This record gives sequence, C-alpha cells and structure tokens, in this order.
Amino acid sequence: MSDNTYIPKLAEIIDINEEVGGARAVKTFKTVFLNGDRFSFLPGQCAMLSVFGKGESMISISSSPLVEDYLQFSIMKMGRVTSALHEMETGAVIGVRGPYGNNFPMDEWKGKNLIFISGGIGIAPVWCVFQTALGNRGDYGDITFVYGARTSADLVYREEMEKLAKELPVHLSIDVEEPGWAEFVGFVPQNVTDKKPSPKDAIAVTCGPPIMIKFVIEALKELGFEDEQIYTTVENKMKCGIGKCGRCNIGGHYVCNDGPVYSWAELKKLPQEY
Amino acid sequence: MEKTLKKDAFAEWLKKLPSYDVYVPVEDDGRFNYEIVGNAGAIDESFTNAVVGPKKVVFPQREVLLRFNSTNEKAPEVEEVLPEEKPAVVFGVRPCDARAVTLTDKVFGGDFADPYYWRRRNNTTLIGLVCTEPPSANCFCTSVGGSPAGKDGLDVVLTSLGDRYYVETLTTRGEKVVSDGGKVFGEPAADDKKAAEKVGTEAAAKVERQVEGVNDLTENLRDMFDSPFWDEESLSCIRCGICTYLCPTCHCFDINDEVLVPVPLTGERVRTWDNCQFPDFTMHSSGHNPRPNRASRLRQRILHKFRYFVENFGDYQCTGCGRCIIYCPVGIDIVDVLDKTAAYER
Ligand SMILES: Cc1cc2nc3c(=O)[nH]c(=O)nc-3n(C[C@H](O)[C@H](O)[C@H](O)COP(=O)(O)OP(=O)(O)OC[C@H]3O[C@@H](n4cnc5c(N)ncnc54)[C@H](O)[C@@H]3O)c2cc1C
Ligand code: SF4
Ligand code: SF4
Ligand code: FES
Repeated sequence: MSDNTYIPKLAEIIDINEEVGGARAVKTFKTVFLNGDRFSFLPGQCAMLSVFGKGESMISISSSPLVEDYLQFSIMKMGRVTSALHEMETGAVIGVRGPYGNNFPMDEWKGKNLIFISGGIGIAPVWCVFQTALGNRGDYGDITFVYGARTSADLVYREEMEKLAKELPVHLSIDVEEPGWAEFVGFVPQNVTDKKPSPKDAIAVTCGPPIMIKFVIEALKELGFEDEQIYTTVENKMKCGIGKCGRCNIGGHYVCNDGPVYSWAELKKLPQEY
Repeated sequence: MEKTLKKDAFAEWLKKLPSYDVYVPVEDDGRFNYEIVGNAGAIDESFTNAVVGPKKVVFPQREVLLRFNSTNEKAPEVEEVLPEEKPAVVFGVRPCDARAVTLTDKVFGGDFADPYYWRRRNNTTLIGLVCTEPPSANCFCTSVGGSPAGKDGLDVVLTSLGDRYYVETLTTRGEKVVSDGGKVFGEPAADDKKAAEKVGTEAAAKVERQVEGVNDLTENLRDMFDSPFWDEESLSCIRCGICTYLCPTCHCFDINDEVLVPVPLTGERVRTWDNCQFPDFTMHSSGHNPRPNRASRLRQRILHKFRYFVENFGDYQCTGCGRCIIYCPVGIDIVDVLDKTAAYER
C-alpha cells in the first residue's frame, strides 16, 4: 500500500441507517475496508471520505476504536459530497483516508464523571467518545448524556438513546413543544441548566452548532465548571486534512492537525475564527 | 566550487543538459516568465523578475493527484499519479524566490510530507542570478532577512561580471549541472570573487523600500486581530487573488474531482492553487464563513505571513519580492500596511 496520505483506501458501505429525513437528512453509514486495509484511530479523530467524481469531505469517526469490524459515520446531507453519499446504497464503495487530527484525552479522564452534551449532528464526534467510555465502563465514574435537536424527528441515534436511558441518565430535549413529548422542551443549554450536572470530578464534552456550544459553555460555567473541564470540537472548511492547503486555521492553529478537539481553556485563547 | 562562464557560452551549457526540462526566463509582451525552451541563447540582459516565480516548477498551478475509474462495476480503481522523475533546472532564479522555496519546503515537509511536492522538488535544480539592480522599485528583501545576493535555496549562483558570469556551486545537485557543462566553464581570475561580492553589496544598497520597525512586527501584530485597522486597509480590495497567487511563498490549494467520462466513471482528483482572498476559501457548506469580509481576509494574509508562520516555522513567510505590490490592481501595498501597523494606536 502506498504511504501517500492523499490516496484513499477503498471501503464498502455495509449498512445504512436513515436517522433523520427532510432537507437536512442524516444517515449513519457503516463501512469496512476492502483489500485488507486497516486503520487505527483515537476517539475524536476524523477521516476524509471520498465519493469518486464528487470530491472529499471530512467526517468524524463516530464508532469507537473498540469496534474492530467497521467504521461508522453519521453524515448530514449538505452539498456535493454528502448528497452523493446519501444517494448511495449498501455495497457501494467509497474512499477513506486518515485518520486526521487530535483526539479527546480520555486517558487523562480516568476516574472522572463524564457528561456528554450535544445538539443535532454534533452527536457524531461525541458518540465515539461516549461508546469508548461505555466500553471501558470501569475506568470512569458516572456517565450522563444530554442531547437535543429542533424536533423529535431530528434526533440522531434516537433508538440507541432510548435503550441506554434504561442504564444511564439520558436527558433529551426538543426546541418546541410536540404532542406526546414527555421530556424537556427548550434549547440544549437550558436543559443543561435544568439538569444541573455537578462539576465535581467531572469532564463535560460538548459538540453541536457553534451557538449551542457557546451557551452550553456559559451554562457549565454557571454551574461551576472550570475551563479545563470543558472539551469541544471545532469545524472549519477542510480540503487536505494535513495542515497544507491553508484554509482551516484559527490564528496559527490548523484545526485539521492541531484540532478538532480543544479544551475550552485552549480554545478561548484563540481568535474567534471558526 | 567556483568557475566562470562566458555569456556567449551559455547556450553551449544548456546543450549539455539534454535530460533536463530547462526553464529560462522568456520575455513576452514586456513581461518575463520561466518557460521550457529547447535552445535558449542566453538569459536576457533586460530580465528583471518573472511574473510567476519558480514556485510553479515545484508546485504547479494544477496537478493530478490520482485517477479513478470504475470500469469494473463495483469498486473503483484508484491509481496514484506522482509526477514523472524528470529533472528540471531553472535558470535566472532571483534570491528572494529561491528563499521562498525554502519556506514552501517547510509547509510541504513535516509529519505528512507531501509526495508530489517532494518528487518535483528533489528533481529541481535552482540556478540563481544575483540582482545587479533591484528588479523592481518595490523590492524589500533586505527588510525580511534576504539580500540581492542571498544564497538560501539555490544550487548554483551566477553573478554577472560584464561578458561573463562568476559561477558558485553550492550543492550536489548544483555540481551535477555544472559538471555536465564540462569544458564550457573557465577558471575564475584572482579578483573575480571580490568583484562578484561587490555586485551584491552595491545592489543591496539600491533596495529602496524598507519595512519600518520590522523587528517588532510579530509583536505588534499580536494585539491586532480585532482592530478596525483591517477594515480601513482592505476597503479597495476587489478579491482578485493576484497578491496570493503570485506570491512565491503562498501554498494554499484546493482539491477537486474532475470527471472525464461519466459512465463508466473515469476521472482525476486534481489540486489547484487556491487563495485566501476568495470569499469561498473558508465558506462552509452551511453558508457560515469564519472570514466573511475583505478585512478578515487581508488580516489573514498579513498575520499568516508575519505572525502565524513565525510561530509555526520561525520565519516570516515573505521574502520581499514585491510582486503583491506590483500586480495588485488597486494598489494595496504590503510595505505600507506593515509600516502602518507599527504606528497604529492600539
Ligand atoms: C473536523 C470535522 C468533522 C466533521 N464531522 C462531520 C460529521 O461527523 N458528520 C457530518 O455530517 N459532517 C461533519 N463535518 C462537516 C462536513 O465535513 C461538511 O458538511 C461536508 O464537507 C460538506 O461537504 P459537501 O461536499 O456536501 O458540501 P459542499 O458545500 O458541496 O462543499 C464542498 C467542499 O468543501 C468542503 N467543506 C464545505 N463545508 C465544510 C465544512 N463545514 N467542514 C469541512 N469541509 C467543508 C468539503 O471539502 C466539501 O466537499 C465535519 C467537518 C469537520 C471540519
Ligand atoms: S508577500 Fe508580497 S512581497 Fe512578500 S514574498 Fe509574497 S508577493 Fe513577495
Ligand atoms: S491583489 Fe489587491 S485587489 Fe487583488 S486580492 Fe490582493 S489585495 Fe485584493
Ligand atoms: S484542511 Fe488543509 S490545512 Fe487544514
């Protein structure tokens, strides 16, 4: 195999789950490498997916490294590449290169309580960390999940969440009232304030739209979380994934290499350029 | 290794390099560019600098990264397309542009060394030409660590001494093209070395533009991210991207798939120069743009060159070639902008 990082490895889509419909549809894809290729990664890292003839998109790996049989990606339909992915059926072959970027420092979190807070498709990077923590359950304290979307139809991984709710605190929310919705109504940051997770020995991981992240961080600070206890991911337009094409930077940081994972303590020092 | 070359023997030297793509500055409509020429007679005595530097030889404006085809129903075949292992030699490289190549080396090196760039780079010999006069009134190499006789990045340096060149060979790649030339070279006279040095020193004294307070620049730029300064300075920018395309140190690129045959799908993944002055350079598909206006894009150009690059690689990402000043259609002048940052009230 070539050590040229621009050359994607071929992977077959073995399973597709339609999570969300509509204009901003979300599908979850499971892929396996062809040609005996392998790829080892850490939670938070991403892969550059190719649809040949359409181009490439950077996507978080949402399955855990503990899962060896496949890689999982949850993808929102946006433009050229992601729309083409949404057209594909099982058996179709895509390209995968990477892994790229840094990872959540899960080793440093051993013994701590973990609170996952995400909104919409922002669950994709969080899901990998969450699954890895569940897989190494003994290493961590309490695990809590706070997740919300605009409507109940926009919740990704809803089935899995409902199953998990039997074992751990899972706090779902939707933005506006719907008939039959028994859980929280309001924005994700409000749900955080409502559920009052304790900052004691805790790490909060939050991903979602930038505006949600901003208010979640404010809510967490109100509850007494320190900047070092809050982790998030940053999204910027990407092409190379390796710090060379020059477009994903925040100040002197290249999100593709130096990110996408940042503690709030690190991120708040960087200019608002994402 | 020092030699001399009679200018009228230049063509003889080129004839001894049949295996190379030989680039020589060629004049067209009043402007020079490096072109592959079979039988160049000489380096034109009126040569100033090329519109596009030798960057285009190591990092072409468009290059194919891979080919894909799906003649076999299911899995497409993907073929890596590396540049040919063909040596190239570029004559008449100005010291600022050779130094610029040492800066793109830093970007394309590192943890993910870029195989396309390095295939070309390792096959390219840069033959410098010391500036007898600064090629333009907008040169400011001496402010940013360079000089009209700088040697960084060059394999061979030629200094014009009347009807001859004084020839200094600096690297093994350089030795190869000089030894291929064999008997076209002569031995230098006793005071040629001195005379050649004098050419460089005299030219350096004629570099008119200087960046004020250049030593404090990175420090000055540290507190300017949110300054209204960038709005004021970028007002006239028409986002043409010339400043950055022509900059010998700028390396940004785009990657896109080009379909040659839709069914069965056959095409190429291509990388092309891209440009931080274009609005969609950073625009997400959602429409959100972290650099949504001219001010934020000028700020990116200046801060990248004089602050971020210093933080990441320990050098300014500007060699003072003056191109972005000369060719900007609306007269945005990087030296003026830098001077103003030094004096700007924060
Ligand atoms: C680190 C990171 C992780 C991501 N993880 C996920 C994920 O798990 N699930 C998901 O649905 N989306 C994710 N995204 C966003 C996803 O990359 C874009 O939505 C996608 O690239 C849009 O491509 P397109 O071709 O459909 O859109 P177009 O508008 O046609 O975009 C053209 C090209 O521009 C680039 N581009 C445009 N917008 C973005 C963007 N926001 N981020 C990166 N590149 C962009 C891509 O190369 C894309 O192919 C992530 C982005 C980053 C930076
Ligand atoms: S920034 Fe301008 S002067 Fe500096 S190297 Fe680039 S084009 Fe030349
Ligand atoms: S060359 Fe001048 S007008 Fe064109 S993008 Fe650069 S600064 Fe703007
Ligand atoms: S994606 Fe190219 S530099 Fe980050």
